[in-house]
Amino acid sequence: MKLVIDESRCKGCNLCVLVCPYKIFQEGTELNSRGIVTPVLDRPERCTNCRLQALYGRMLCGVCHMICPDQAISWVEERPFEPHKVEVEF
Amino acid sequence: MIAPDWFRDDRLPHIYCTGCGNGTIINCTLAAVEEMGWKRDETIFVSGIGCSSRAPGYILTDSLHTTHGRALAFATGVKMARPDFNVVVFTGDGDLAAIGGNHFIHACRRNVDMTVVCMNNYIYGMTGGQGSPTTPPGAISSTTPYGASEPAFDLAELAVAAGANYVARWTSYHVKELTKAIAAGMQTPGLAFVEARTQCPTNYGRHNKLRTVPAMVEHLRSHAILVRKYERMVAEGVPIPEGAFTVGELVRRSRPAMGVQR
Repeated sequence: MKLVIDESRCKGCNLCVLVCPYKIFQEGTELNSRGIVTPVLDRPERCTNCRLQALYGRMLCGVCHMICPDQAISWVEERPFEPHKVEVEF
Repeated sequence: MIAPDWFRDDRLPHIYCTGCGNGTIINCTLAAVEEMGWKRDETIFVSGIGCSSRAPGYILTDSLHTTHGRALAFATGVKMARPDFNVVVFTGDGDLAAIGGNHFIHACRRNVDMTVVCMNNYIYGMTGGQGSPTTPPGAISSTTPYGASEPAFDLAELAVAAGANYVARWTSYHVKELTKAIAAGMQTPGLAFVEARTQCPTNYGRHNKLRTVPAMVEHLRSHAILVRKYERMVAEGVPIPEGAFTVGELVRRSRPAMGVQR
């Protein structure tokens, strides 16, 4: 599963920044095409729901999804072999 | 988990301001509806006038958008005509407490079988931030520019006194608890009243030194005291901090209810 922010719905209230226990949502800095500063995702693969939803078969955490007033945060199925950005830590 | 197919996708994004808590309350109500397993053609959402009362317009069920303050009167009529329907009322504080105050106490007295979700944002948000009966003392709004001088209405306590079967209060920060409270209210026969305190950053927070959305939500979170803790503090004689309000399930009882299908 993959965490996505629907840019066409988000109004940039930054409530997800407040509630996420992993600090995945970070306040954005750039305006998008609608003139709204949407949050950016910091390593979204750390999200519990992304990793373990299929294993447990139910919604885990999901507070950002519930608190988002604009229904912009959701999880989508990943396509097979989707490219990932890999950070190598030394 | 919110039921995604209950939203009217063609109406979204909604017209609420940035950071308005009403969208969160819609999420919580739809999650509770999903938990209850109600069918879409057996559920009806009723609302009056106001920001909060635009909520049924974004939900794909039958809905009634009624006159100001009279949502509960219309909902009583719906329940009497079709007792097999599940009735949920969305209402705001100005709608419920100021103009529909009398309908509210009599719906609680009759104990009509429905769920009332009140989005209390402390002011009349849609018309420009006038003071409502729930504006806390000292708060600045466009009709109280030197600070509200009147004591505020405690809607949940009013519902307890008027005789509702289930009364709870949460804020828009407590999403999981609010979902559970709404689901418990839907299961209880008789009138279930859930007061959800929400943030209104545009018209309330902007004038009361809570300019950003997280600041206003943090203010709600830090002033909420659980009912158990409040009772313990009163018993021990610990002073209650100013501006604090109780959250949690205030009452659950089984008075005879009206309109329950047997």
